[in-house]
Amino acid sequence: MIFVFNQIDRWGKSFIGQLEYTARVLLMVYLSVRAAFVDQAQGLRTVFSVVSAQIYFTGFQALPLISVLALASGGVVILQSSSNLSLLGGSEMIGKLLVVIIVRELGPLMTALVVIARSGTAVASEVGNMRANREIEALESMGINPLSYIVFPRVLGGVVSVVCLAFYYVMIALLGGFLITRLIQDMPFTFYYESLANAFAFEDVGLFVLKNIFSGVIIFVVACEQGLSVRRGPWEVPVVTTQAVVNSIIYVVVFNMSVTTIFYLKQLIKLGVI
Amino acid sequence: MPAPKIESLRFENLTFAYENSPPLFTNLDFDFPMNRLVWLNAESGQGRSSLLQLLGVLQFPESGNFYLNEMKVSDMSFEEFLPYRLKIGYGFDFGGLLNNKTIFENLTLPLMYHKILDAKESAERVNKYLNFMGISKYKDQRPAVVPGGVRKITCMVRALVQHPDVLLLDDPSVGMNEATFLRYFDLIKEIQNEKALQHIFVSSFDKKLMGLLGATEVVVDDGRLYLNDSQEKYAVNT
Repeated sequence: MIFVFNQIDRWGKSFIGQLEYTARVLLMVYLSVRAAFVDQAQGLRTVFSVVSAQIYFTGFQALPLISVLALASGGVVILQSSSNLSLLGGSEMIGKLLVVIIVRELGPLMTALVVIARSGTAVASEVGNMRANREIEALESMGINPLSYIVFPRVLGGVVSVVCLAFYYVMIALLGGFLITRLIQDMPFTFYYESLANAFAFEDVGLFVLKNIFSGVIIFVVACEQGLSVRRGPWEVPVVTTQAVVNSIIYVVVFNMSVTTIFYLKQLIKLGVI
Repeated sequence: MPAPKIESLRFENLTFAYENSPPLFTNLDFDFPMNRLVWLNAESGQGRSSLLQLLGVLQFPESGNFYLNEMKVSDMSFEEFLPYRLKIGYGFDFGGLLNNKTIFENLTLPLMYHKILDAKESAERVNKYLNFMGISKYKDQRPAVVPGGVRKITCMVRALVQHPDVLLLDDPSVGMNEATFLRYFDLIKEIQNEKALQHIFVSSFDKKLMGLLGATEVVVDDGRLYLNDSQEKYAVNT
């Protein structure tokens, strides 16, 4: 019986720890936005230079990897969907299926995972090293708020990059995937295009933008929070970088799942199923 | 509106400890001597650097108060304290330079960021100080590729580049030879003619150099501070 209580205690402690961490992350979002607006000294030029660098490293440099993943996943999904739907006699459903799988789910999730692996780690280790090398302390001593100078531009650049990369992923997956499928199966482009165009709805755009904006915020705020949590020295940097990856994946997956669940519950309510 | 000049620094009932460590200072009261060069002298681990960090508001006490011009620093937000922050220069004992910026950019950053000077004036001032300290040939290189001594000088020069009222130098003689160190103090004297750097606090092991500069000694011992030139017990811990 004691074992059961101990286990419940551990779960409780872990849950409270996660809540505290979530509160810290949310607080950092607020404080970095506040600092960026309140900081009178920081000019747009300073912000823009960091934002553009962030977009270059996070967005532009990730294009080859995103292209490969988008082509592979798009090709597989289209190939599997079209062959199975043909067997079931529902070929015209392919557009709907692709919007559901690629636009609503795979696009935001795959993009977020690529950005976590490439840029979340880079930002966490960069900020962690800045902390270990006392650069953050130096900024504070010069009256420069690290939240507006370091965190805010990285988050802003990260969000823009994630949204653009996800859009690029969807385009490559849908168009490139179609071309790959054409090598194996005969599918008219007009049929494919019309099926997709009929399937797209305004709420798909909303869902896509919402998921990607929040994924971008989560990835870069978690990375900065972990980097800034370095206290004693450089040996903490690999630890916080790993933790940034783990936490980002958990938060992004949980967020995407929650949004999807809420969206489908809303759909079911609208249809009168529940 | 620019902040008034810094005239006084005072600890009241201040307790400070690092996480999971015993307190370095407990219920410390101390009125820092002003308008002079103050030497904070202590054995390793007695809290010399921490004391400077508290004065530079880079660390915060667990309890008690730090008064600047008789204003409670803990009551001020980052933005409210900013005008005073710009009147405090801090020279780190190690590290502290931004690695993705050149030596020149590191020195112009506080001037340009806070629009203390425009780009041309900032460059003029920084080039003048780089020439004075004899490190101008490194100005376009990043900290990681310059000798350690150059990094140290850069960090020390950055502390005074905005002509603050208070200069806090953490072990400035470590990593600098005696001639360079004295040259740095010549630069300080030159800037003092422009009515800046009135209050200088230096933590150092170097008794000889501090003696040469005629510093007022404040001894940090077992969490207490004593002004040594009068042998008067300057602060009492309760």
